[in-house]
Amino acid sequence: MSENRQLLVEMAEGLFADLATASFEDAAPRLAEAGFATLLVPAEQGGFGGDWGDVLAVLRLAGLNAVAAPVAEPIIAHALLAQAGIAAPEGLVTLVAGNGRAPFGRHADAVVMVREGTLSLYAKGAFAVEEGSSLAGEPSDLVTPSGAPVASAPCSADLDGLGAFARVAQASGAMEAAFTLAIDHVNTRVQFGRTLAKFQAVQQALAEFSEEAAAVDAAAAACAAALDAGDAAFEIAAAKYRLGLAVDRAVPIAHRVHGAIGFTIEYALNRFTRRLMHWRSEFGSDAQWARALGHTVAALGGQGLWREVAARTDRLIA
Amino acid sequence: MQIFPLHPFRPQGDIPALRQQVRALVAEHEHRWTPLQRANCWFSFDPEFSRAMGAAGLLGMTWPKQYGGHERTMLERYVVLEELLAAGAPAGLHWIADRQTGALLVRYGTEAQREKYLPGMARGEIYACIGLSEPNSGSDLASVRTFAKKTNEGWLVNGQKVWTSGAHKSHAALTLLRTEEGSERQQGLSQLMIDLDTPGITIRPIIDMTGTHHFNEIFFEDVLLPHDALVGVEGQGWKQVTAELALERSGPERYLSSHVLLVALIDAIGPNPADEIAELIGRLTAEMWTLRQMSMSTAAKLDAGEDPIVEAAIVKDLGNAYEQALPRLVQAATDTDLAGSSALSQLLAYYLLAAPSFSLRGGTPEVLRGIIAKGLGLR
Repeated sequence: MSENRQLLVEMAEGLFADLATASFEDAAPRLAEAGFATLLVPAEQGGFGGDWGDVLAVLRLAGLNAVAAPVAEPIIAHALLAQAGIAAPEGLVTLVAGNGRAPFGRHADAVVMVREGTLSLYAKGAFAVEEGSSLAGEPSDLVTPSGAPVASAPCSADLDGLGAFARVAQASGAMEAAFTLAIDHVNTRVQFGRTLAKFQAVQQALAEFSEEAAAVDAAAAACAAALDAGDAAFEIAAAKYRLGLAVDRAVPIAHRVHGAIGFTIEYALNRFTRRLMHWRSEFGSDAQWARALGHTVAALGGQGLWREVAARTDRLIA
Repeated sequence: MQIFPLHPFRPQGDIPALRQQVRALVAEHEHRWTPLQRANCWFSFDPEFSRAMGAAGLLGMTWPKQYGGHERTMLERYVVLEELLAAGAPAGLHWIADRQTGALLVRYGTEAQREKYLPGMARGEIYACIGLSEPNSGSDLASVRTFAKKTNEGWLVNGQKVWTSGAHKSHAALTLLRTEEGSERQQGLSQLMIDLDTPGITIRPIIDMTGTHHFNEIFFEDVLLPHDALVGVEGQGWKQVTAELALERSGPERYLSSHVLLVALIDAIGPNPADEIAELIGRLTAEMWTLRQMSMSTAAKLDAGEDPIVEAAIVKDLGNAYEQALPRLVQAATDTDLAGSSALSQLLAYYLLAAPSFSLRGGTPEVLRGIIAKGLGLR
């Protein structure tokens, strides 16, 4: 871990823990002040000059604390703008996914959209917002341009892919948080004269849960490494699909071991499981990513699949 | 608590060149291999290929040169293994000697044992098997009863081992025995290296439900072994065996045993499949890719001297679940004729029947999840 990352993580840990139950209105200014948005912007352009490993570290912590304001979207938006040579506007910038949904779109001062290889930046007033809500109760708004963009430029980045990586990274933290709640619950809740943790069936279920959390962690880290190597299309497709599988397997276990208490709005579990269930569908569904990856692999052929998989990690060996 | 922090896999040496070496060797020999020989290939035999592996310096890679080894790193060896598995190269004859028995002799063996076995193992000419399970001792390995009595002439062995993979093709069996009379459970166990041509040993085949012979029963009737058949420390057999088992849980064979089926599926559907089948390929690729990251990370941790018991059990359990689901998913999503002669037909038919064996080698899901739960502080 770089020295910078250590400092970054310490800062994020402290701030996100503070914001864990804060509303959007309270959290957003604190995030803006901390300056996470320019994490990927090169230092010479006034940014933090971080890499995707840094982004993973920060987003994992955001997921771990269920921060109720966008952390990932401004980071990606500012990175894409910097790459395109477009000056970033003041205020909150969010992303418009391929399906038109913009997380926290109603609160945004500007949105970044990539369509057919062209990035466009729209300022407030030049886009229409149709409000919608995520499973976690967060704004998931349909955003459509209604005026001219502030600027446009060619862009080769896959915005949905980067958004998908962000969700995998956040989910790795949310999985850990849900898992920790489950462990704490079964270690303290007594039924039939012993803690739930003493029941072998419960132990086995939580072992399965831990395997899924582990898979998401591994997938997220491998994606970050691939992004830093310059191309992560294959890894992101695999990781986002694998996240869907993990949510499918782990969220029911999290709720099962909690009984009715885990189903209440007061108890913390839903802050993580609702986000996990929503993120599964955001920036590309299971089907969409599996199909994309499947077509890529079919074109590579049977032997080509292994050669590709091996070459993609060999490039990381210095 | 992060359960699975990814450890970077950074082997020394020219890894692309090493892959190329294995691929060239496979290309030289693969004309002999039928689709079924490439299936579950670390249980499939080709003596010529095993000797070629030895001649190419790809067996005993991490062992000292004085015993025929090549003093390369564990991670280079890992790369060779994953290449063999991905290609479906029949590596069953040398697999156990190269993976476990040789490594254990390097660590615990006497000078004489090392000189006797290791050079032949590294040449791909001496094969080994592992005598653990007994008729009343399966997952509960600490209940072994086969007894080796220490006499003036040597160890006198009586009893029976079962489910011994490859015993009929092996020269020696590294065997867990009770060496202290009246001892219970993990106490009083030792490991003995037993030459299988010793008088009093009978090996009988057990044919599995795929119709294949790789399991055996080994009977020991007044088998007299020299005192120096003992490997490591008398009475420390349990510790030595469990360390050995933990090391082998996270290897690439835990998710690549069935890779040739995925390859056959991809080749059968061609470069422009319908979306539904592309989805299946994508799903299987995503799982395989994730398992590879996890397996590589665990190998790197082992190489760094850490003891990733929980991670290794996670890799084995997830890998097993993936490999058992793979043939069922292919069966459900395709119209593959199970009686057909195409590679996909043959492989699918084989793997549907072979898949149950994946959860019984190296620990059942229940055993593995017990290890994980214990590691998470849940017992």
